[in-house]
Amino acid sequence: MIKSADVVVIGGGSIGCATAYNLARLGFKNVVVLEKGYICRGSTGRCAAGIRQQWGTEMNCLISRYSIRHFEVMNESLEYDGDVEFRQNGYLMVSYSQKEAAMLKENLKLHEKLGIPVRFLSVDDVKEIVPVINTERIVASTICMEDGQANPFKVTDAYYRAAGRLGVKFYTYTEVTGFKKEGEKITAVVTDKGEIATSAVVNATGPYAKFISAMLGHDLPVEPERHQIVVTEPLDPFLRPLVMNFFHNSYCQQVLNGSVLAGYGNPDEPKGINYDCSWQFIKELAAKIVDQFPVMKEVNIVRQWSGHYGISPDGQPVLGTVPGVEGYYLALGCGKGFMLSPMIGELIAQCVAGQDTTLPIGILNVRRFKKGELIVEPAVV
Amino acid sequence: MRIQNHPILKFEKGRRVIFTFNGAEVEGCEGEPIAAALHAAGIRVLSHSRNYKRPRGFWCAIGNCSSCNMRVNGVPNVRACVEPLLDGMIVETQQGEGAVGSGIDG
Ligand SMILES: Cc1cc2nc3c(=O)[nH]c(=O)nc-3n(C[C@H](O)[C@H](O)[C@H](O)COP(=O)(O)OP(=O)(O)OC[C@H]3O[C@@H](n4cnc5c(N)ncnc54)[C@H](O)[C@@H]3O)c2cc1C
Repeated sequence: MIKSADVVVIGGGSIGCATAYNLARLGFKNVVVLEKGYICRGSTGRCAAGIRQQWGTEMNCLISRYSIRHFEVMNESLEYDGDVEFRQNGYLMVSYSQKEAAMLKENLKLHEKLGIPVRFLSVDDVKEIVPVINTERIVASTICMEDGQANPFKVTDAYYRAAGRLGVKFYTYTEVTGFKKEGEKITAVVTDKGEIATSAVVNATGPYAKFISAMLGHDLPVEPERHQIVVTEPLDPFLRPLVMNFFHNSYCQQVLNGSVLAGYGNPDEPKGINYDCSWQFIKELAAKIVDQFPVMKEVNIVRQWSGHYGISPDGQPVLGTVPGVEGYYLALGCGKGFMLSPMIGELIAQCVAGQDTTLPIGILNVRRFKKGELIVEPAVV
Repeated sequence: MRIQNHPILKFEKGRRVIFTFNGAEVEGCEGEPIAAALHAAGIRVLSHSRNYKRPRGFWCAIGNCSSCNMRVNGVPNVRACVEPLLDGMIVETQQGEGAVGSGIDG
């Protein structure tokens, strides 16, 4: 293993790979990525890969908006041999209650201000866009046709290959177990395969981030929370946009091969790493999905798995430097890290390089939790 | 052709029932797997492969391999090898991946 590096990125998910690529592009010659398993082993390889700009905080909206601009040209900009399968089929947000409808209306004002093309839909519009949807209880819904989905494995692979061509070294099956410091300064990363001397470390370990912080004596309030998901056998196209339902706390989308991916957030889920799958999840999810799409009762589930969101106290990403630990940077998407990864990669690389960042990430610094300056994201599932 | 004698399993033959396969009437025994009735009636092609549309027939016989996914009473992707036959069933070979609901173009 290499003895020293300009920057060590921990985590081989979409954010780690995008960050490494951007660091190399900004001229860092010796960038290393450490991954304790294989590329995409973490949340990235387990996510639904929905991409949307319809958020309730300005930064979430902006980071995803800028990221979509990257997704749109990703095959070309990363000179990818394959296809990252970015498809702008829209993202439909559905509410069954006046309270959620009010939130959608509130968010719409923000979207208008930021120039995000979100539309309020009548029930007839919804029926036209998704003929199989049950509109009985729909009170309000919005759609943005620039939103959509991409293949998380291929997006990460595209960054991984592009980074590799720029000289980034990837060490898989290499686990970070500790650090060496002089005072507040990081001097080396310790792994199960040896040590790498470095003065800059990017923590892109998604749901594992707090464990890395703990090794540096930093208390990070981002908790791993298990999220389960199922996939059905492939079907002919019948569901164009991703449908997110705030009443059911669920999402449902048909992907390129025809399979349907669906999941929901369980409000009682305990925090912590847990890769188990439960039959209760399938049962409850099926009821939620069939309520929304009665035809889905005919469809067979073929697989179920679980991954984790990193839950921050306000549902927003945690980006940038860490007070008290010099040379330590957080690159955490927090539950929506896949869709934000192109921009988080760019912003963190700029931050490490000491450049002005394309977007003002200061407000997403981890300091805000201590100061109590939370800007809570309301539109989460 | 049906299995008559098996060292472990006993086959109780159900009453004769009529169902349709792609619109044509076929006879089978109630409760036997749909694929067994089709096989006995000489029907060997149950589906087509995804990419090259080559014919696919009876294969794993335990509901795993998806070689016998068929449309039954309008429901797509029914495993004909494990689905019991009922009187009057409408069994069809499936085009594409199988359609639910009204379908839209992607
Ligand atoms: C079911 C589900 C659905 C989701 N749906 C969406 C969605 O629709 N849209 C969206 O944008 N996001 C979604 N997410 C969230 C998204 O998956 C994550 O936010 C995103 O993938 C995080 O990427 P990452 O690169 O930060 O982390 P990860 O992909 O988790 O990568 C972190 C990596 O760090 C490695 N690591 C951890 N500890 C160490 C160590 N000590 N040493 C070395 N390596 C280590 C891990 O092995 C892992 O590979 C979903 C998540 C789940 C679970």
